[in-house]
Amino acid sequence: MDPRPGIAADAVLGVVPRLVFEPATVAEAAAAVARCARDHLTLAFVGGGTDLALGTPPETLDAVLRTSGLARVVEHAPADQVVTVEAGMTLAALQGALAPHGQWLALDPPWPGRATVGGIVAANAFGPRRARYGSARDLILGASLVRADGTAAKGGGKVVKNVAGFDLPRLLVGSLGTLGLVTTVTFRLHPRPEAAATVRVREVDAAGVWALTRAARQAQLEPSSSAALVVSDRLDLAVRFEGFAPGVEQQSERWLALARAAGLAAERLDEPGARAFWDRHDAVRTDGPLRAKLSAPPSALPEVARQALAPLLGELSPASAVWYPELGLGFVAGSPARLPAVAQAIEEARAALEQRGGSLVLADAPTEVRSAVDVWGAAPPALPLMRELKQRLDPDRRLNPGRFVGGL
Amino acid sequence: MAADTTLADLARRMAAVVGPRNCFSSDADLLTYECDGLTHGRTRPALVVLPATTQEVAEVVRLARAAGRAIVPRGSGTGLSGGARPVPGSVVVGLTRMRKILEVNLEDGWVRVQPGVINLDVTRAVSGAGFYYAPDPSSQSICSIGGNVAENAGGAHCLKYGFTVNHVLGARLVLDDGKVMDLGGPALDAPGHDLLAVLVGSEGMLGIVTEVTLRLLRRPEATRTFFATFPSTDEAGEAVSRIIAAGILPAAIEMMDRLAIVAAKAATGLDWPDVGAALLMDADGPLAEVEHTSSRALDIARQAGALELRVPRSEAERQLMWKGRKSAFAAVGRISPNYLVEDGVIPRSEIAPVMREIEGMARDHGLRVANVFHAGDGNLHPLVLYDARESGQEHRAEHLGGEILRMCVRYGGSITGEHGVGAEKAAYMSEMFCEDDLETMQWVRAAFDPECRFNPGKVFPSSPLCGESRARGEPHPAEKAGLVERW
Repeated sequence: MDPRPGIAADAVLGVVPRLVFEPATVAEAAAAVARCARDHLTLAFVGGGTDLALGTPPETLDAVLRTSGLARVVEHAPADQVVTVEAGMTLAALQGALAPHGQWLALDPPWPGRATVGGIVAANAFGPRRARYGSARDLILGASLVRADGTAAKGGGKVVKNVAGFDLPRLLVGSLGTLGLVTTVTFRLHPRPEAAATVRVREVDAAGVWALTRAARQAQLEPSSSAALVVSDRLDLAVRFEGFAPGVEQQSERWLALARAAGLAAERLDEPGARAFWDRHDAVRTDGPLRAKLSAPPSALPEVARQALAPLLGELSPASAVWYPELGLGFVAGSPARLPAVAQAIEEARAALEQRGGSLVLADAPTEVRSAVDVWGAAPPALPLMRELKQRLDPDRRLNPGRFVGGL
Repeated sequence: MAADTTLADLARRMAAVVGPRNCFSSDADLLTYECDGLTHGRTRPALVVLPATTQEVAEVVRLARAAGRAIVPRGSGTGLSGGARPVPGSVVVGLTRMRKILEVNLEDGWVRVQPGVINLDVTRAVSGAGFYYAPDPSSQSICSIGGNVAENAGGAHCLKYGFTVNHVLGARLVLDDGKVMDLGGPALDAPGHDLLAVLVGSEGMLGIVTEVTLRLLRRPEATRTFFATFPSTDEAGEAVSRIIAAGILPAAIEMMDRLAIVAAKAATGLDWPDVGAALLMDADGPLAEVEHTSSRALDIARQAGALELRVPRSEAERQLMWKGRKSAFAAVGRISPNYLVEDGVIPRSEIAPVMREIEGMARDHGLRVANVFHAGDGNLHPLVLYDARESGQEHRAEHLGGEILRMCVRYGGSITGEHGVGAEKAAYMSEMFCEDDLETMQWVRAAFDPECRFNPGKVFPSSPLCGESRARGEPHPAEKAGLVERW
C-alpha cells in the first residue's frame, strides 16, 4: 500500500505531513508503521479527528496514518458482553452494531458519528455517563498495538476479568498516540437500560449544585449522569437515571423530593425537554474555538466556580460551560475576546485548580492563545518516568514528537 | 567468607535504618518469609527488613541496590501465586509496619493509606459514615492494600464494581534509585501517561508503593441475596447466562459444584442440600431496582431448572450464606489432605462445557476437583484435591492444574483472573502472549526499573531479559549486577 501526498486537510495542529497512509487492514497498518521506522519518519495517527486539536503541534511530522479503513467489528460475543473492534470504527457505527443485541459500549463522548474507538482510547474521551460506567480506562479489556518499530503486540485479553501481564491497554488510554498505534480494542459492554428519566433544577448557585449532589449520594441514589450547564452566574443541573423502570421511577421521585426539600424548583423533564437539555450539553462539549478541560476535587465546586469558571467565562464571548459535579470535571468553551486577558484568565483558573490538585488542559485553542499559555499546564511530578517510558517504547521519538505533556 | 561479611555489613546498615528489631537475618527469623500463600515453593531470602516510613523504604532500596541485591516487596503474604516468593540472596521488604490510615476525605470519597493497611480495615474505618472500599478478595480480613495494588486484587463483587485498578486514585512509589514519585491523585485525569494504570497489577516489579489513595463508595441502599440449587453445573451455568442476558448486572454471582458444597457444609454446618451445583447471588443498589432485579433473577433461576431457592430471612442468615462461600477454599481441607487452588478465566457463557471438561480431565488424572468460583465473570477457582502422601499425586495435581489453565486459554480466557502470575504461572504466560507482547511489557518494566531489581523471576518466562531487545549479545545490566543469570 503506497502513501499519498499530504494536503492541508491532513494537518495535525497546523503541521502538514508529507505522506498519508490509509491502510485498509491491520496488517497494512503495521506495514506502514514499519516502513516509517525503516525510513526514520515521524508519524501521527488520526481517527475521526475529534481530539486533533489537543496538545502542542508536533515538532516534525513526515507522515500521518489514518485509521478510517480499520472499521470492522472483529468479534462480538453478546452472551459474554464483550466486543473486539478495529480502532477506526466510529462510536456511532459500533453502537449501531451492538443495538440489535440490546447492548452498548457505555461511553458517550462528543461527536459519536466521527469519534473513533482508537481516538477515544488515545484521548480518554468521555461524556456524562462516566459518572456511572467510568471512562475507556474502566471499560477496556484488551488492545492490540503496533509499536514505533513496526512490531505488533497486545496486552490484556477478551474476558471481563484478567490480571495476566502488565496492563498495556490501560497504559494506552490517554497516551495520545505517543506510545504506539492502537489497532484493535476489546471492551466490556453493558445492557442498554430499558428506562431513563431526566430531572432538573434551574439557576442554582455552585454551592447548591454541590449540596444537592452530596445529598443524592447520601440518599444512596445512583444516577447515570449529572451535568450542570452554566447560565450567566448560575447553573442548570440535570440528573439522569437509567435502568429498570421501577428503579428509575423511584430514584427520580426521590431526587425531586431532595431538591424541593432544599427549596429548589425541581421538575422531571418530558422526553423533548430531556432531549433539549442533553442537546444543549452536547453543544457545549463541541463549542469553540477555545475549549478548556478542568479538573478538581468534586467538593471544591464552589471555589472552582468562583476562581476558575468565572474568570474564564468573563473573557469568552459567547461563552458556555458544563460541570460534572460527581466527577469533578468540566469544560469551558467560547470565543476569546481580548488575548492578554484570556491568557491571564486561563493562568488564574489553572492556578486555582492546580492548587487543589486539579488541572486545566486546553482541548482546543486559537493559535494566539496557544502561543501565550501552555496547553498542558504544570509538568506532572512523574514526568521523568513518562520520559523513560517514551524512551523505551519510542526511542527515536518518532510518534507525535512534542505533542504530549512536557514536550514528550 | 567475603560474601557473608558483605551480608553482615548490609544487615548492620539496614538495621541502622529500620532499627535492629526490624531487620532479620537468622535462619529461624527468615523461615516465615520463604513463601507467601502459595506454600509449595520456598526460597530463603538473605535479609528481611521492615521499614516504617517512605524515607526508610527509600533508604533500604538504596542500600540493597548498592549491595547489588534483588528486592522483594511483601505485604501480608497471602498471595496465591508466589508473587512474594524471594529469590536467593534477595532482601525482602515487608510493609507490615506501615499500617496507618493517613487521611479520610468523605466529601470527595477517598482515603489515603499506607500499604500495610488491611483491606477490610479501610471499609471498617468509613463504614460508620456509610461508605466502603469495593474490592473484596476472599482474604480481605488479612490481605494488605499494598498487596492488592500489586496483584490488582478482585473479589466476588468485581463483576459490578471492578478491580483494584478501578479504585486506586493515586500512589506514592519508591523507585530503584530510592527516588520517590507521586502518581495520580484525588482529582481525575491528571495530564500525562497513566502510569498508575500499569503500576496496579505489576506484581511488585516496578517499585515499592508506600502510600495509596483509594476511592470510597457510598453503601448501596439495599442488597438482596438468594441461594439456588441445581441438579448440575449445566443448569446453574445456564441460569447465570440467562440472568446476565436479561440485562441484570448482579453485584456478585458465585457458583459451587457438588464437592465444594460438601466441603462448605462440613466446615460451617450450613444445612445446604446435597446437589450438583449452587448459586449465590447478590443484587445491590437503589431499593426499587434491587427488588425488581432480584425477583426477576429468582424467576430466571427457577425457569433454568433450580431445585430450590432460598432467600435469607435476616442479615445474619445472609452473612452465614456468604461465610459458606468465602470459607469454601479452606473448607476443602476437610475433605482432602492437600489441595491446589487454581485461578483461571473463561468466557462466562462457556461455564457448562468447561465444567464438564474439567470433570473429564480430573477423571483422566485420577483426581477430584472442587469448583467454587465467580461465575458472573467466568473466573474459575478449581481446587485440585490430592494426597501428598500418595506417591505421584502431587505431581499429577500440578499437571492437572496446568492443563486447566491451558484449557482456559483455549476457550479465549486467561491464566489468572485475580491471583496474579507471580512465580507460579510465569511459565504459562507464553500460552497467552507471544514474545513481542512480553517484550513490550518488559520495556514498560525497564522504564521504571532498568536493572530488574524489584521482584525478579515473576510474571515473565525466564528469557528474554528485562527491557532488552532479544538480538543483543552484550550482558544485561541485571546480569552485570549479578541479579539474574541467563542460563
